[in-house]
Amino acid sequence: MEKMNIKDFINELKDALEIEDEDQKITLETNLKDLEEYDSLSVLSIIAMIDKNFGKQIPSSDFAKVTTVNSLKDLIGKKHFE
Amino acid sequence: MGVKITNIEYYLPEKVVTNDQLAKQFPDWSPKKIEKKIGIKERHIVKEDETALDLALIVGKKILENYDKDKIDFLLFCTQSPEYYLPSGACILQDRLGLNKNMGAFDYNLGCSGFVYGLALAKSLIISKIASHILLITSDTISAYINYKDKSNRATFGDAAAATIIEQSEEEQIGEFVLGTDGSGYKNLIVPNGGLRNRYNPNAKEIDEGSGSIRTDNDLYMNGPEIFNFTIKAVPKLVSKTLEKNNISLEEIDYIIFHQANKYINEYLRKKIGIPKEKYYLNLLNTGNTVSATIPIAIKDVLDNKLIKKGDKILLVGFGVGYSWGGTIITI
Amino acid sequence: MAVKISKIEYYLPKKILSNNDLENEFPGLNINKIEEKVGIKERHIVKEDETALDLALIVGKKILENYDKDKIDFLLFCTQSPEYYLPSGACILQDRLGLNKNMGAFDYNLGCSGFVYGLALAKSLIISKIASHILLITSDTISAYINYKDKSNRATFGDAAAATIIEQSEEEQIGEFVLGTDGSGYKNLIVPNGGLRNRYNPNAKEIDEGSGSIRTDNDLYMNGPEIFNFTIKAVPKLVSKTLEKNNISLEEIDYIIFHQANKYINEYLRKKIGIPKEKYYLNLLNTGNTVSATIPIAIKDVLDNKLIKKGDKILLVGFGVGYSWGGTIITI
Repeated sequence: MEKMNIKDFINELKDALEIEDEDQKITLETNLKDLEEYDSLSVLSIIAMIDKNFGKQIPSSDFAKVTTVNSLKDLIGKKHFE
Repeated sequence: MGVKITNIEYYLPEKVVTNDQLAKQFPDWSPKKIEKKIGIKERHIVKEDETALDLALIVGKKILENYDKDKIDFLLFCTQSPEYYLPSGACILQDRLGLNKNMGAFDYNLGCSGFVYGLALAKSLIISKIASHILLITSDTISAYINYKDKSNRATFGDAAAATIIEQSEEEQIGEFVLGTDGSGYKNLIVPNGGLRNRYNPNAKEIDEGSGSIRTDNDLYMNGPEIFNFTIKAVPKLVSKTLEKNNISLEEIDYIIFHQANKYINEYLRKKIGIPKEKYYLNLLNTGNTVSATIPIAIKDVLDNKLIKKGDKILLVGFGVGYSWGGTIITI
Repeated sequence: MAVKISKIEYYLPKKILSNNDLENEFPGLNINKIEEKVGIKERHIVKEDETALDLALIVGKKILENYDKDKIDFLLFCTQSPEYYLPSGACILQDRLGLNKNMGAFDYNLGCSGFVYGLALAKSLIISKIASHILLITSDTISAYINYKDKSNRATFGDAAAATIIEQSEEEQIGEFVLGTDGSGYKNLIVPNGGLRNRYNPNAKEIDEGSGSIRTDNDLYMNGPEIFNFTIKAVPKLVSKTLEKNNISLEEIDYIIFHQANKYINEYLRKKIGIPKEKYYLNLLNTGNTVSATIPIAIKDVLDNKLIKKGDKILLVGFGVGYSWGGTIITI
């Protein structure tokens, strides 16, 4: 199975959240819920991003527990990442 | 013997709620963002004493204007905004539309899949010779269920009614159906109170869904992410099964009309399934998500705008509350 | 392609309301008259947190016991006691009964005519090849709508659910249908509040109907005399039209099952139409009027008691709330 590298994952995430500012740094430690752009519509984009890149659906109840980018990565499954 | 759709009309209630008006009430929402992401600029909403039956009556009269109403021998009324627990709204419509008494009529309780199911029922009733000229009305006033402070659902949904007449035809113009049901998702699009499981509760507590949407159990609850998950799993399969059952490929289909849920979901599904933009209906700009009326409104829309012509094959795909889903192919 | 009923089961909730119970609540109530004239001795009533969906689940499991449930590809759920405004109870039943997802399912909103309509829909869906094995469940908890102080309706109605499986058959065993609707009578059997026309009103005023029956607009209202008038006009015609449409005479019919409204009305209609007592079902002694379940319960009853046998032709006649009515002939 093709694994995704973290840099690409974060770029996909920035796209999904429509973060246009190139300088805005998102790291594994960034808390998604603190981001201005994170709202009910962005959750849909993240679902789409995960489906497109990993072919899976995450139950929304799990989404509610997501805090940092790292926790989202764990939710998707470490085996999908380099 | 085949069956065909002969007439479609729709009606949008007069009162309009625009994105600007919503932004005034919910200051952290930008009208541009709503329009861009979910594809909605305004939605039509019933007045306080206006019901789905009222809308059904208006659109029913409209469609019967140039039609011999005595031919109608069955009335199918699809609504999730019932006039009463009992009797059926369809019986009341029979009387108020001045239809024949020698006809069948009932309400059925589906939402976004309701129009496709309605075509399936109409086709069946005609093929089995139980009826010959069927009036199918889909009407919903979801706004009546939405909490005033629920910015997400207030932005998404609109009210509308559509009427469709289905009759016999020489050629088969309504194809084979794929229908599906998955009640494990019932909680993800629901009005918890008001039926007999939980009665309406005048003291229902406010629940903060987070992201500024507030509701009580008397109001509509929709778990957007779960619904999205469901559509990603169910809709591509529904499309391929419907094409297969009708012995036709996506390339041979002239136009595709999905239930208009919201621009984001509908566009995502289009890309995922690989439907070219030019033959894919995507427009809820002035109506919002009108539940059971989205598909007939879309058909009427593309007919009026000559985006489709006689002989064209149209794939219809409904999916949503229940969960319930259905697909078929009609020939114009 | 022909169709037949292959199985019927029914379920009565455990709690019983007897005439003696009613006499204790309404001193001076003439219970001999209720048993003699109305023909009811006891009725089964749901517990407080028991709904029509619960009854449907029980009877659904019962009928699927010795049946390959994967064959079921359509679920018709007839109820006027809905679990929710939305979603459909039928979707929830699909999940809880462990049925296939590749199937259609919806609720439809009819009462006393509901079973006959259900057979019509099932026959249509099978003939048009949209389905092949259909589960039809009729379930009502009218007791939930009846005011505690409404002695008349409390004496008349009972709760029940029935399940019926309809499949293809070699010979035609479900005949032609006569269906009718007259919404001008909608106000005569109605729950005024609770739908979207008039929401549930926690401060609804008590209305004294006279003769000791008290209700509010949140409760069931039935105008007995008007309903009787309606049946006198509609039912004899329905019977003759159904016989005519099926090319058969009353003499050739082996058994007749009407919706069990009450003994007085049903006996009056029997005499008016000229149906011999021996082939006329009249029994609501232990159930009361169970609305959409009366006809399937009666069929099961006469089958179990060997009052009818294989090959017999049974006239089924449903009529009531709406107004709505329907007739057909089935062969055992």
